[in-house]
Amino acid sequence: MKQIGKKTITLIITLLLISFAAFLAFQVIPGDPSLSVLGMDATEQQIAAYQKQMGLDRPMPVRYVSWVWDFVRGDLGDSYHYGTSVGGLLGDKLPVTLALTAVSFLFILGLSIPFGILMARFADTRFGRLVNVVNQTLMSVPSFFLGVLLILVFGLMLKWFTPGEYISYRESTTGFLLYLIAPAAAIAIPKTAMVIKFLRSSVLEQRKKDYVRTAYSKGNTDNRVLFIHVLKNSCIPVITILGMIIADTMAGSIVVEQVFNLPGVGRLLVSSIGYRDYPVVQAIIVYIASAVVIVNFIVDMLYRLADPRIREE
Amino acid sequence: MLEVRNLTVSFPDETERIEAESVNKAVKGISFSMKRGEILAVIGESGSGKSMTALSIAGLLPETAASSGQIIFDGSDLMSLTKKERRIIQGRDISMIFQEPMTSLNPVMKVGKQVEEVLLLHTDLDKAERKRVVLQALEDAGLEQPEKLFYSYPHQLSGGMRQRVMIAMAMILQPQLMIADEPTTALDRRIQDQILTLLKEINEKKQMGILFISHNLEVVKDFCDRILVMYEGELVEEGTPEEIFHHPEKEYTKRLLASIPEGKKERSTDQIDRKKVLLVEHLNVYYPEKGGGRKQVIFDANFAIYEREIVGLVGDSGGGKSSLSKAILGLNICTDGLIQHYTEYPQMVFQDPYGSLNPVRSIGWILEEPLRIQRKLTKKERREQVQDILKRVGLDRTYMDRRPSELSGGQRQRVGIALALILKSRFIIADEPVSALDVTIQAQILSLLKELGREYGLSYLFISHDMAVIHEMCDRILRLEDGRIYEEK
Amino acid sequence: MRYFGKKNTALTAGILISAVLFAVMLIGVFYTPYESSKMNGAEKFMAPCARHLMGTDNFGRDIFSRVLEGLGTTFFVAVSVTLFGSLFGVLLGAITGYFGGILDEILMRMNDALVAFPSILLALVFISILGNKVYQIILALGIIFIPSFARIVRGEFIRQKELDYVKSARLMGAGHFRIMFFHILPNTLPALLSAITVGFNNAVLAEAGMSYLGIGVQPPDASLGRMLAEAQGYLFSAPWYALYPGVVIILLILGFSLINEGLGA
Repeated sequence: MKQIGKKTITLIITLLLISFAAFLAFQVIPGDPSLSVLGMDATEQQIAAYQKQMGLDRPMPVRYVSWVWDFVRGDLGDSYHYGTSVGGLLGDKLPVTLALTAVSFLFILGLSIPFGILMARFADTRFGRLVNVVNQTLMSVPSFFLGVLLILVFGLMLKWFTPGEYISYRESTTGFLLYLIAPAAAIAIPKTAMVIKFLRSSVLEQRKKDYVRTAYSKGNTDNRVLFIHVLKNSCIPVITILGMIIADTMAGSIVVEQVFNLPGVGRLLVSSIGYRDYPVVQAIIVYIASAVVIVNFIVDMLYRLADPRIREE
Repeated sequence: MLEVRNLTVSFPDETERIEAESVNKAVKGISFSMKRGEILAVIGESGSGKSMTALSIAGLLPETAASSGQIIFDGSDLMSLTKKERRIIQGRDISMIFQEPMTSLNPVMKVGKQVEEVLLLHTDLDKAERKRVVLQALEDAGLEQPEKLFYSYPHQLSGGMRQRVMIAMAMILQPQLMIADEPTTALDRRIQDQILTLLKEINEKKQMGILFISHNLEVVKDFCDRILVMYEGELVEEGTPEEIFHHPEKEYTKRLLASIPEGKKERSTDQIDRKKVLLVEHLNVYYPEKGGGRKQVIFDANFAIYEREIVGLVGDSGGGKSSLSKAILGLNICTDGLIQHYTEYPQMVFQDPYGSLNPVRSIGWILEEPLRIQRKLTKKERREQVQDILKRVGLDRTYMDRRPSELSGGQRQRVGIALALILKSRFIIADEPVSALDVTIQAQILSLLKELGREYGLSYLFISHDMAVIHEMCDRILRLEDGRIYEEK
Repeated sequence: MRYFGKKNTALTAGILISAVLFAVMLIGVFYTPYESSKMNGAEKFMAPCARHLMGTDNFGRDIFSRVLEGLGTTFFVAVSVTLFGSLFGVLLGAITGYFGGILDEILMRMNDALVAFPSILLALVFISILGNKVYQIILALGIIFIPSFARIVRGEFIRQKELDYVKSARLMGAGHFRIMFFHILPNTLPALLSAITVGFNNAVLAEAGMSYLGIGVQPPDASLGRMLAEAQGYLFSAPWYALYPGVVIILLILGFSLINEGLGA
């Protein structure tokens, strides 16, 4: 319990650090946002008035505190480019990205565990080595190129889906989820290959441990040793990389949304960077980073739950 | 009950790389038998094939091993059984305990469940009955509070307790044969004796045969009915403890016996007119704990070490012997009190010769490094000194280009000693310098230390858990108990 | 450290792939069959043939020449980023790992905050601050890559400094600097090599991903990611346009990940 308290405090500090970093980063940016809103030939009065209106004339610490406070209350400010509230902009795109990340993550989990075990089981055979080579290659495919390939093969050649014809979740949930399959696969397949490799080597390593010999000495079958004894021990180190996988999955969605024309947070981010629309960029960064940190926190707790040796401390 | 005929174990995979004629046979056609309820000890150094013999009988040989011969157990040949038939016997009729109690239990499974698994695999008992039997077995293995233990994880137990759990697991179905592979080697001396007593008790009560594998003749002396001595995969000698200890026939057995430290050395006590090499007064040593606190491990230590004497330091493992020696050498910053050295560059010979030599550097580089740091000599002079010191510890100059990983444990320890001597140090702390080595090698290293001590006029603080070694080596003995130093009279 | 004694298929294959790509890249620096940005209205969308090994694109530019140039850009960026990141990462990791204490604590907290950002996200932010010339991209990615190296080196130093050979070095009178860089550092080499290969791959991915999004290297410099983005519009009519740059990226990453795999064995 003491550990959980400590971890929670660390979590809050990390979140504050992230928000401060995100805030600071956009304070030192060259290029005045008022210019990009008002145009290059704006008069000084116009700029001053705009800065007052946006609260840009106050000292930095004051702006930071009020920014964080607004953020916590859910007021993310107004977009320079669209003029509408950032909250409204995000509210529209967030479900798309969240759904994409979630589906990808489910793909990763659902595929990697059975395949990882299977590959460990047949690791020493010729077939096992062949599969390992395929796996290694899949790991090396960038998700955006995989997306392009999926569009080419399943969209254009086999016509299983129509590329570019995005179905909104408001229109049809099923249609939306079906459309997500290809982009989710593009994100998930390289990551799945990575988890499989990790799990496989973890199983292989655990199989050499002394307790496995003990288990055989009791008269356990191969399968029982694998599933009752080795598997749980092998999964514990895998849990630690799940946090990283989730961060990668979110990063992957930024690029893959572009490939599949999905109106998610990633595309909003890319276009906002182009427009120098800093309130939007700031909000998205804080949102993604916080999500990653919180997910890591949960993974850490899971890890504690899974491993009795750490649970104690 | 058990008869082994012409058992051979080899590793064909590795022979490809070694020359074809020297086929890497771990066990070279050995035969022996064992009676019901007998305790049979198999003695040998590492690489003698004793463990492979044990694993063959238990059916746990690694898959890369090829074996032939017969193992007749209870009338049937184990070698000709299928994997499935074999599993019925494993755990029920033949059980096994291992050297490392710390790693032999599944770290994420509750102790009770692990013991229970044997019952689950071999009996039709229901859950409640299984638990009752497990609790009884834990109690029989000398474990207190079995109910609490049932729901504990292995990491919550001490090494001795874990080995008892292993024993409980191995005897729960009262097998005819328990194979114990160095079951006490990783344990403290005190715990070692307790485990041996327990095994003896079980043997007598349940008429369970024990095949006891060990590298240490002394351990099995009062414990077993018969002894087999193995060397390089072959059976050297066989006999009762009486025969082996008092009338050994083979040369190798005699060497083994000779390497058992004799103890009782003539003590010199005339330290009054000698010069001190080390003075320790009111020394407190602390161990930093996670989270910033610190734990005191040494309380008010006072002692001195004089020229040309070997002082033993004994005490339980984890009792602060290492912390004390580190403090003396200034490797531990959490100390207060007086540590006065009267010699230059006090050195240390470490327990683990694998960790104390930089693995990526050559022996020559390692030995030259102290001289380089002190910047007193030219490159040529340095090389010469390194060659001299190597020769002095019994290694020739060709070793200069080798890496530590290319040396045996004994050779590495020789390099470690050379390293301690190259700066002409006169005071050396030897921290369990032989406990990681095979017995015959141990004897060689000990006599090298003594010889060098005489030749260079060295003083040693000699740390060991092995009282026989201490008695043989030391002029005086300091005992560390509960963080305090007592001089033994 | 004896990687090369045994038969190591993964390592051999990895080195082979990387070496061939490196050679091709070098050739591309000095010679390309066509000028990479030269348009030719008469030869649009030509399928791969003897004259154009990888065909031509929508402006009639030779894809092979453009791939060569893009490969050069990617290689240059990835190598620079890895060097920059590993150099500062090693320094930082060695100091924090060896000495520990407050400095270590502070840097690790900052590190925790930094790794929370997916690297491509961080790269986008840095680029939007620093600008998107090649050197600015290298600087941005380089800074982002420091923590991952620092963390690995720090962990190795914490592990190694407890070993007896370090104590032995201290007893000889070796100073901190000597212990850190002459005694411990060579022992971290296996871990560092693996980190370098992984870092290189991540740099390739980040560079390609960014230029795919149009935020990376800008025209007229050719880049594999941008080619892919442009090719997507003609996916059905000229699939080779997308395939070749993509396959080259895969090979680049595969080569290094096989080397990494081989080193681990």
